[in-house]
Amino acid sequence: MKQSLLLLLFYTCLFGAQAQDAAYQQPPKAAMAYREFRQKTTVPPYGLDNVKKQIAAIKDKPGESGDEGISALTDTVYQSLSLREKFTYAMIHPEMYAQNCDINMIHANEHKEIFGYLVSEGDEETWSSRQLDFLRSNRDSVMALIRESANRSRRMGVNYKNALVEIDGWEMIPYLIDFYTADKKDKDLLTVLMLLMKRGTFMPFIRSASHKRLYGIDGNHETALEYNSANEALIIARARAYYKERKPA
Amino acid sequence: MKTIATLLLLIYCYTGVYSQEQSFIKIPAGSYEVGLKGSVENPRRRITIKAFSIAATELTNAEFERFILATGYQTEAERFKDALVFEPGLEEFRWLDDSTAYWRYPNGVARGGITGKMNHPVTGISFTDALVYCKWAGVRLPTLEEWEIAARAGSATKYFKGVTAESISRYANIWQGRDHLQADSTDGFMYTAPVARFQPNPWGLYDVFGNVFEFCSGSLPRDKGRRVAHARGGSWWCSKNACNFYNAVDIGSVNPHASFSNLGFRVVKDAEGL
Repeated sequence: MKQSLLLLLFYTCLFGAQAQDAAYQQPPKAAMAYREFRQKTTVPPYGLDNVKKQIAAIKDKPGESGDEGISALTDTVYQSLSLREKFTYAMIHPEMYAQNCDINMIHANEHKEIFGYLVSEGDEETWSSRQLDFLRSNRDSVMALIRESANRSRRMGVNYKNALVEIDGWEMIPYLIDFYTADKKDKDLLTVLMLLMKRGTFMPFIRSASHKRLYGIDGNHETALEYNSANEALIIARARAYYKERKPA
Repeated sequence: MKTIATLLLLIYCYTGVYSQEQSFIKIPAGSYEVGLKGSVENPRRRITIKAFSIAATELTNAEFERFILATGYQTEAERFKDALVFEPGLEEFRWLDDSTAYWRYPNGVARGGITGKMNHPVTGISFTDALVYCKWAGVRLPTLEEWEIAARAGSATKYFKGVTAESISRYANIWQGRDHLQADSTDGFMYTAPVARFQPNPWGLYDVFGNVFEFCSGSLPRDKGRRVAHARGGSWWCSKNACNFYNAVDIGSVNPHASFSNLGFRVVKDAEGL
């Protein structure tokens, strides 16, 4: 009996070791769950049925495999979409390939960090020039749509947050702070606040240790601050000051 | 007349060198350490592999041209006009779509072609194109682990022996500017460099870090079952502030049909095929 147990233990150890050798290790559960949360996008409701219909009707590029990469709406169909539909289209169908390293490696303590940059939206895609032009040229409408949609779903996906950074949506700062403080779950909203301050060259932030760490000479797209109440309060206080400075009297 | 003859001879020799067969480095079968302690997606572990031989250099324009001339193959960028190109002035991670770009004009016709650059790595090709080349040439892409074993050359760190974050510019054609708003040619090259221009790793492989990202075969848990291409080693575009993937740990992800001017490959032969 003792021999059998020893044999069983030996094989368990042997196969356990082999399995560990063969596979990439999964990140800690809490980090994985938070990464999944960070990567979630929001699907806007505006003209969604029509936009989905138009995307489904895109003629695939000719090829043998039936999987020929990203396909975009033709100019004619794209221009026929309303403003709200163009917004929905951009949020659910980025048209351009993202480069090989446009990804962020998952951190073991991801759920305990405030990152300098948002994660890419996944699926190796990003917005095309015409999609970015649309978002920037219609920034007031885009901010209004994001606010309306986020109020409805009580979520702000990474696509909405990325859009706010792309359009320099500083007017949304009070809303973003309220949205964050409601449950303090989405620390990427603090990231958006920092990216807006960086974009606006808000000197009290530019001169800060946080800025130096995240965006300074040694900072990169993987760098993060520790998540604690002091860092959180500082980011919010600076963002409020930035908004106050920038808001017309 | 004598000058012209000398010049022609030089051009002939230069082209001849790079149209020769690639040299391969044999990696013996055995147990190798890969990954890095503390890395979540590529943790330190030991794996066992069969022997293989890996090209000492990235595949060049000259070698890719031989394939094109022999087969008449049209790359995806030529068929779909959807290659992505770079020029200084773009924000981090932004690229431009350029319908004129493909492997002969990796950054579009307006930014010049590969004339005089036949010894540079081929770029502007997709993972799918690389697989077609491999099938024609009777070679294959390295697996993610094979690439890492060859790149590390026995080192236990994220670089091969002798390289640090500070000294890497002697071994790798990378972007040394703070951002991509201004051109950077600190190391002599803004885009690709000729293969083997920088110092090799201890096993004789050139440009495993920098120059171009190198496609590998294999998948990762983060693919979640989707068909995703992975390329490793960083590229001329990569800086310490954005995409510091010029190491033996990080693994990129890209659409298998995407053609970028910083994506290329090196090939592998199975040992029994030698």
